[in-house]
Amino acid sequence: MIRRPYIEVAMQQPNPDNRISRRSIVRFGAAGMFLAVLNRTAHGEAWERLEAVRKLLGDRKPASEGLTLELPLVSEDGSSVPLTVRADGPMTAAEHVQSIHLFATRNPNPEIAEFRFTPLCGRAQVATRVRLSESQTVVAVARTSRDRLYAAAREIRITTSGCLVRADSQTDSNEMAVRVRVPERFRPGEAGEILTLINHPMETGLREDRAGKLVPQRIIRAFSSELAGERVFEATLYRAIAANPYLRFYVAPKAGGDLVLRWTEDTGRIATYRVRLAVA
Amino acid sequence: MTPAALSLWAGFAIGLVFGAVGQRTGFCLTRAMHGLWITGDSNKLRAFALALAVAILCSQALDAAGLIDLRRSIYLASGFSWLSVPLGGIVFGYGMIMANGCGARALVLLGQGNLRAFVVLLCLGIAAYASLTGIIAPLRTWLAALTSTDFSPVPPTLPAVALGQTPPAGLRLSLAVALSAALAAYALASPTFRASARDLAGGLIIGALVPAGWLATGVLGADDFEPVPLASLTFIAPIGETIQYLMLATGMPLRFGVTAVAGTFLGALIAALASGSARLESFSSPQRMLRSMAGGVLMGVGGALALGCSIGQGLSGLSTLAIGSLLAAAGIFTGASLALRGPLRLPQI
Repeated sequence: MIRRPYIEVAMQQPNPDNRISRRSIVRFGAAGMFLAVLNRTAHGEAWERLEAVRKLLGDRKPASEGLTLELPLVSEDGSSVPLTVRADGPMTAAEHVQSIHLFATRNPNPEIAEFRFTPLCGRAQVATRVRLSESQTVVAVARTSRDRLYAAAREIRITTSGCLVRADSQTDSNEMAVRVRVPERFRPGEAGEILTLINHPMETGLREDRAGKLVPQRIIRAFSSELAGERVFEATLYRAIAANPYLRFYVAPKAGGDLVLRWTEDTGRIATYRVRLAVA
Repeated sequence: MTPAALSLWAGFAIGLVFGAVGQRTGFCLTRAMHGLWITGDSNKLRAFALALAVAILCSQALDAAGLIDLRRSIYLASGFSWLSVPLGGIVFGYGMIMANGCGARALVLLGQGNLRAFVVLLCLGIAAYASLTGIIAPLRTWLAALTSTDFSPVPPTLPAVALGQTPPAGLRLSLAVALSAALAAYALASPTFRASARDLAGGLIIGALVPAGWLATGVLGADDFEPVPLASLTFIAPIGETIQYLMLATGMPLRFGVTAVAGTFLGALIAALASGSARLESFSSPQRMLRSMAGGVLMGVGGALALGCSIGQGLSGLSTLAIGSLLAAAGIFTGASLALRGPLRLPQI
């Protein structure tokens, strides 16, 4: 007996004349809808169930429009992933974005950072670099001064690093040295970008040194900025911020003045920087 | 323009020159190896030697002058695998002969209408990323972790390891001058090579593109806050990255390697069209197609293991004087030789 190839047999037996029957459509349709519903509910609630997020939201439903979280789709190196978060909306004394919280749902600890804004920021936008231990969803939650809540989530895939050099293994020997860049000139009331970077390993407390001992946690915990004595932008950082913490934020000064920046390590060490902002 | 954007445009320009010069002069390590073992024509090998001489001299000069710090390149990363790198080189070299040209050459050939090169590039790019971040990656990282060696805190170059410390700039430069002189002397020793304007130009210009790459990423791309990783010409990961970029551009940043790959293809295309040498070509038999596909896969896997290809390690890597690059280049030479001569040589098809 000649054995027919499996694929011929399989294709012939159930549906010899290739008609699509009504029954099969109903079956597939039902399965499809079930999967779609399951997927949406599973997806929608997965990060909302995270305890850190629940503490912020309570049982309120955050708005999904108005908060943008930018992350690459895929990153080879999880130790330094660029991230930008932006909340659209007014930044006036009457109503402004007060805080944005970032979470990494699958990191050893989900908190990445907390950013606090004032109307002097002009724009509620921050860029930084974060550490992600594996492929996961990153979540941002924003709260305005009128207690409105917004949330945004992005999925990112972290693959094995292609090369042996990790971005955070090249910290300079100049710890606590800072670099700051400000616009040459501001127009009164217009937001300008401030770039800041401080040399620091951001030791997670999970790394072993050459002898095999755990290097204790040591990170920059807090960042603050003041313009002529008034608070502008502040941040609480956790160990999920990448080494050499990079913070890019906005200031909209009404008049010229001294911008004072301060970084505080969790041991208490402080670094400061003062620069004059020129308003034309 | 931001430093990152500047470095991208510079990469594109460097690629254009590489593609055009490669197409017009026929600069090719595969042909050089054929010349060494089969035809006896040493011109292409001397052209490669001349390119290496220029690359080493200019790259080391830039480093000694403090304009770039080659220790930030992947070739001088503190650890590498003493097994994967030469093994990858051998696999790459063998695949290069099977595919009748390396990744860079395939880009140039594609630019002149050679559709065989398209198949090679696809196989190379997919195999490379399968090894870097895909299904073969766990095997690669396991092997690398098992056989990794670390010369820290000394950078892994021969002079540094021999001395036990980073050699002073003057010494590094003298060594570079000596090496370049030796390579150039070998290249220029042959009267037929000296008479061949194409091979002279190919060697000089392509050699100069390596320090151009360091400048593009290390100087033009220098930024206190968002620095571009220091890199020069290489064609394994970038070819795979280009394929991935075509599919994921909305969620993936454009990088130097991808613009260099695009430039190389376009440069070769423009040169071929302008000189009337563009011709559509395909495989003459299924066996040849299969051999090219296998060659592409071997180049992708080998190049990923060796951290570079004939250009990536053979020129850019060696210009840093890294020990790993020496191992990789020796591997590539060995693999190519095995495919051309001896018991493992490829049968005629």
